[in-house]
Amino acid sequence: MSALTAVPANILAAGTNNGAFVTPSISYAAIAPILIVLAAACVGVLFEAVLPRGQRFYAQVALTLAALLAAFIDVIAIRGHSVVTASRAIAIDGTSLFLQGTILVLGALAVLLLAERGVEPGSAIVAQAAVVVGSPADRRLASSDRVQTEIFPLALFAVGGMLIFPAANNLLLMFVALEVLSLPLYLMAGLSRRRRLLSQEAAIKYFLLGAFASAFFLYGVALLYGYADSANLSDILRAQNTSTQSDTLLYLGFGLLIVGLLFKAGIAPFHSWTPDVYQGSPTPVTAFMASCTKIAAFGAILRVLYVGFSVSSWNWRPIIWTVAIASIAVGAVVGLTQTDVKRILAYSSIAHAGFILMAVLAQNAQGQMDVSGLSSSLFYLAAYGLTTIAAFGMVTLVRDGNGEATHLSQWSGLARRSPLFAVTFTFLLLAFAGIPLTSGFTGKFVVFRAAYHSAAPLVVIALIGSAIAAFFYLRIVVMMFFAEPAEDGPSVVIPSALSSIAITVGTGATLVLGVFPQPLLDLADHAAKLRG
Amino acid sequence: MHDVLLASAANVSTGEAITFWILGPVSLAGAIGMVAARNAVHSALSLVATMMSLGLFYVVEQGPFLGLVQIIVYTGAIMILFLFVLMLIGRDSSDSLVETLRGQRVAALLAGLAFALLVALTLGRAFTGRPPKNLDGPNANNGNVDSIAHKLFSDYLFAFELTSALLIIAAVGAMVLAHIERDGPKPTQKALARERIRSGRPQPLPGPGVLSSGNAIGTPALLPDGTIAPESLMGGQSTINVGQGGLGEIER
Repeated sequence: MSALTAVPANILAAGTNNGAFVTPSISYAAIAPILIVLAAACVGVLFEAVLPRGQRFYAQVALTLAALLAAFIDVIAIRGHSVVTASRAIAIDGTSLFLQGTILVLGALAVLLLAERGVEPGSAIVAQAAVVVGSPADRRLASSDRVQTEIFPLALFAVGGMLIFPAANNLLLMFVALEVLSLPLYLMAGLSRRRRLLSQEAAIKYFLLGAFASAFFLYGVALLYGYADSANLSDILRAQNTSTQSDTLLYLGFGLLIVGLLFKAGIAPFHSWTPDVYQGSPTPVTAFMASCTKIAAFGAILRVLYVGFSVSSWNWRPIIWTVAIASIAVGAVVGLTQTDVKRILAYSSIAHAGFILMAVLAQNAQGQMDVSGLSSSLFYLAAYGLTTIAAFGMVTLVRDGNGEATHLSQWSGLARRSPLFAVTFTFLLLAFAGIPLTSGFTGKFVVFRAAYHSAAPLVVIALIGSAIAAFFYLRIVVMMFFAEPAEDGPSVVIPSALSSIAITVGTGATLVLGVFPQPLLDLADHAAKLRG
Repeated sequence: MHDVLLASAANVSTGEAITFWILGPVSLAGAIGMVAARNAVHSALSLVATMMSLGLFYVVEQGPFLGLVQIIVYTGAIMILFLFVLMLIGRDSSDSLVETLRGQRVAALLAGLAFALLVALTLGRAFTGRPPKNLDGPNANNGNVDSIAHKLFSDYLFAFELTSALLIIAAVGAMVLAHIERDGPKPTQKALARERIRSGRPQPLPGPGVLSSGNAIGTPALLPDGTIAPESLMGGQSTINVGQGGLGEIER
């Protein structure tokens, strides 16, 4: 490593001690949504300290929802802003505001699922995470209505990190944001009320692999810094035309950086954590991860590729080709062999990540990166996130004596017990499969259209992949409608208003964006602007 | 990669070269020892050696602040805390070395070596023929710390502020994972004493490691006839498993 420390000659030359210190200007209006969420998270931590136990749950839920709502209103209020602020570290532009708005809406829906107490006394969250699994105290607490309410401030911190992650114009800030969004998720993954050992295993797996991915990301940032003498994406872009350093640093640095980002987005071959973590985590947390984390990670990938590496796109296109194909193939083929509904949805998310990634391959006639790729992936992310929240929200409702019944065989004949549930879930699965009149179709259509001119073979592969994936979605449908119901099978629990709102909004959006997608498409087109 | 660097760089002083060739192998041996050592304490001490060498590297490379922080914070504070934890949970409770996937370890080793080779060769190539640069500019007038502060509070201000969120998350996370809230009121001393007499065992439980081969909490106490004292194990399935691991060692 001493080699590296020797390279960037003027590590500190820009801010020499001789010059007077100039306070960096920060546009507080532009970063207000971020500050609202982070401040509310700190207040939530204080709530834990001062409120009596009985009041904490609803106080935390109210605070979390209010903060997310306030931040969302603020995002709408500052629409059209386009600034690069805080010493060029944060870029608040159309794309980051669109993604921030999406993350805030989906985060609020996930918090509604987290706050659901109608299907399980307490909630899906463990009463005391520190109590040894299976001990008498654990058994006693499992049936109580106590909840580890720290999960709500943690969720807010994660949302705060997710708001910064796609807006970070500086790779170092991007790294800190990555950690701010990841650390709470590692914890939240381990806080399941039922099957706690599985949940803790998921948390430790996610933590170890996530730490590994962060190390790759950091190494990449270090090499890029050596190449460009700056961690700012726009400087890295400029350095690709002017730098006298060897291009090896650029390529190696980019490769390591993108590994860290692809891991967070759950793209094969960096997907191995996804099924285990999705299965082990409490289902509302899975919904949160599958929608919000994916959007934030893709936001960062889009910014890195479009702002930092648009001129060297010919060099990274083969990488994106390869991982997109790998992701679609792994998601579709391995998904076929799964027997657990949550794992099937996890593999489905891997395949979808591959579809979204195709969009960045879109090029215009001059061979430059085309903005249609950006806008189509924005639409896809929003549509997919809403469907995912609703799907995982519905998985929480199928229960037997041991909690959620997620094994596929337990779902046989579910349509006879609850036709409404079966029809709704079928609709969501059709959206995942990309059947017309659902948002999944619109999303796939715009992404494939954007990628078609420059990556037609990949579009063909993606179509084959979605056909294979449709098979395992339909397998669940067939299971629910045409199989004989099991003797002591699970039943569908009627949730309280909180989950109902989340599921209804997600399902409704899936329908509306399938039938009448134009407003959101226009919004995504309008928002597809990046500043470096 | 380093000798390429050193050979290509005419203006690396002799002292720097000597320091490098002494500390380079030390840090490498420490890193390998950290992974290879079976005993967790040896592993931690190897890491200390690597971190100390890295700290000295930073000092030699004109980063005195970074070097000292590396030694004081990482080696001094974090690693010692780490050793405390190791001693507390028992240095004998080693990991299971059973391979659940056959050939996984060999494959991982090969892939790791290939990756290291790739990085070393490409970086070596990238730096061949390039003169090393120095930090004379920012370090002028004892400005090392000043320059870092300058950067920290201008270019990296937001990232620096955001690390406070990380610290809060870490503190809350540690509480969530380790703190158990009390249910009822705290029992009085009188109640505790009564409880103890009623339990039929007024004397304290045997401590772990009493009359056995080690003093770690994972090692159960032995009774005079050499069998394990079950009371020396904490309740809960996981701890008992650790104790059985210790038993295997005693019998051997």
